[in-house]
Amino acid sequence: MVKPTVILVGADKGGVGKTTVARTLLDYFTAHQVPVRAFDTESPKGTLKRFHPDVTEIVDVTAIGDQMKIFDTLGSADAKVTVIDVRAGLLSTTLRALNDIGFIESAKKGQISFAVFHILGPSIASLDEIAETASVVGDANYFLVKNFVNNATFFEWDPATYNSYFRKIKGAMEITVAKLNEMACEQVEVASVPFVGFVANKNARGEAANYSFVLRGYVRHWLGNVWGEYDRVKLMDLIAPKAEDNIRQAAG
Amino acid sequence: MSLHNFVTIIASPRSRVGKTLLARMLADFYLHNGRNVMAFDLNADDPTLTQFLPAHSTVAEISDTNGQMALFDRLVADDGVYKVVDLGHKAFRSFFTVAGEIGFAEEARRRSVAPIILFIASPDATSVEAYADLRRLFPQAALVPVHNEMLGSAQHRDKFPVPSAGPVLIHLPALTPGLRKIIERRPFSFVDSSGAAPLDVPLDAHIELQRWLRRIFLEFREMELRVLLADLQSSLQVQAGS
Repeated sequence: MVKPTVILVGADKGGVGKTTVARTLLDYFTAHQVPVRAFDTESPKGTLKRFHPDVTEIVDVTAIGDQMKIFDTLGSADAKVTVIDVRAGLLSTTLRALNDIGFIESAKKGQISFAVFHILGPSIASLDEIAETASVVGDANYFLVKNFVNNATFFEWDPATYNSYFRKIKGAMEITVAKLNEMACEQVEVASVPFVGFVANKNARGEAANYSFVLRGYVRHWLGNVWGEYDRVKLMDLIAPKAEDNIRQAAG
Repeated sequence: MSLHNFVTIIASPRSRVGKTLLARMLADFYLHNGRNVMAFDLNADDPTLTQFLPAHSTVAEISDTNGQMALFDRLVADDGVYKVVDLGHKAFRSFFTVAGEIGFAEEARRRSVAPIILFIASPDATSVEAYADLRRLFPQAALVPVHNEMLGSAQHRDKFPVPSAGPVLIHLPALTPGLRKIIERRPFSFVDSSGAAPLDVPLDAHIELQRWLRRIFLEFREMELRVLLADLQSSLQVQAGS
């Protein structure tokens, strides 16, 4: 059975590729025929909305009205997966707000699935974010995403330090997003279409486009690798948990 | 699916095995049959193909994305032009790495362009390994070993297996040293020399060259037919299965 699922994509730092990861998630679920909707908290600009206008709404996640719009409709919306692209610097704040409204408690009870995609930057400050969010993340499925798409090298990271932070969150899993060919990345930006639309050579209106086959090939290959990571962490099991998990949950 | 034209990559991880000669002959074979042809010379250090066929070839470079787009986007275009790639040994790995990553062979097939790899066989371990890798990584392409007699008489057939359906080994007979000297003049087209003997080529040498050329062209013709036949057979199997 499909459970309403909320995926929070965020970081406490800008420019680490949150929206890119949110876009790959929307493409991933669409490819798996799972109805999906998205909220872009980068009000009023909304980068995510530019790529996925049909399913994205721009909201202010700190405003109560918009919180109601997102969380009060989880059960009634057609979309079973809700992806929230959290603006830079708001991840901890958003998690605290979710805690306050009892959302994290509902997730704990298994009424909804909740996942956090924490996008890490190359600096040591990113590790401090892990410690900060760990205290409020509750029982969420926590994914630490090392995003190389914008050529991050993670040069400041000492593996021992990283592991000590990583272990602070129970069940945290690591996801690596590989680097995408720069020109391909740029062309998708210019085209303002979902990655799958670019691969399929379609423009924003769904008509045949004339993108380079080479660039489309690079995007297809890269997206395949990203989705491979999502398969590895069994992302689809979040939405439709396997029967044995249900039995285990029912048995307490 | 009916195939409209071919894109043929002449490849070997070794230098000086006859890749450019084979590329020249294949381009001339197409011209001889009245087809449009464009050859791409991936020997950035020494682009000799463009010296032999200046009107039908261009230098290509794949070290950056712009170069890759300029080459691969043209290779997969279903534009009625037969393409030949003279893949220099230095570009061998990077070419096939990019080709694999962007799904070159699959895209070519989707656009009714048959991808063919003519692999010049030599008994060294590097070549044998490279051939096995290509066979594994590019199942959508017709991989054809070429035995160049100028490299020696050994066949190495067992090291370069071919699928049961599809093209078999191509045999490139050796040329006498005298004829080799003639065909190494630049520019030189086998097609131009296929009619009356040029004034500066002795008649017996001209006749010998024609005989040699006919044998190669016959091999190319057979290869094309086998590729088309294999395509037809797989289409029929798909239809029977659906």
